[in-house]
Amino acid sequence: MADHILTPSSAFMDWHPPATPKLAASARETLTMASFAAARGKEQALREAISAAYGAVLPKSAGRVEAGGIAFVWAGPDQWLAITEHEGARDLEAELKEKLTGIASVVDQSDSRVVVRISGSRARSVLAKGVPIDLHPRAFAPGSVAITHASHVGIILWQVDDAPTYEAAMFRSYADSFAHWLFEAAAEYVSAQP
Amino acid sequence: MRIACPHCGERSLDEFLYSGDATVKRPDFAGTTAMDDFVTYTFERTNPPGPHRELWYHAAGCHAWLVVTRNVSTHAVASVELARDVALAAKSATKDSAS
Ligand SMILES: [Zn+2]
Repeated sequence: MADHILTPSSAFMDWHPPATPKLAASARETLTMASFAAARGKEQALREAISAAYGAVLPKSAGRVEAGGIAFVWAGPDQWLAITEHEGARDLEAELKEKLTGIASVVDQSDSRVVVRISGSRARSVLAKGVPIDLHPRAFAPGSVAITHASHVGIILWQVDDAPTYEAAMFRSYADSFAHWLFEAAAEYVSAQP
Repeated sequence: MRIACPHCGERSLDEFLYSGDATVKRPDFAGTTAMDDFVTYTFERTNPPGPHRELWYHAAGCHAWLVVTRNVSTHAVASVELARDVALAAKSATKDSAS
């Protein structure tokens, strides 16, 4: 049988992100991600295990916390997405499976989703063109999370800081559609202007 | 029309899928009157103006099933509950009445 060697490749075919002080986008393609969902009746045990292992308090509703270099993002009722850099071949699925045996189901998401970071003073205006939720700071701030869509592409959106910096996680096969929309939406802010 | 998802907050209609009447109960397919019961269940629906209890699915959001009480004449939403809570409450009510 022939050997099949799979080489990692970018989720984006056409990647020419805006890179100005007012608006910049980057693809975070070196992440390891795992989703986990509490087993029936084990919600409290799960919270305690995550708190003991990482010092993180899992958000009960749409929110994001960071602890020990891992971001825990609410991903639906009693479900979360854990995200960190893939440094040193860190494998979040294996790590969480060991720590959450019997109290949660853990599934690797590293190759299922990609994360796009969008930041700058124009980031909110660009996202507002395709995201149907209120991104005004009084409604959506650092730590906020929303499962929604951007120009018909399902995303989990969260705000990282006040720059503002946002990140959107989407299924890998939609990454190019998302990028296409993003670059079109960004065009008016990056073209040569006095 | 906007629906206030108990998990996600108020969201626009395009994030949801309408999934039918929340008041009808799927008949027992093994019952002796199953054929008639399913005809009634599937086709014999009234469509009165005013308040309806409906199932909605937050498809582009948290994926929760919701029971929305809505006036179909005005689109005013009176309440939004998690279908899971409604089903669990119905189950415990049946259990209580049986004991
Ligand atoms: Zn929801």
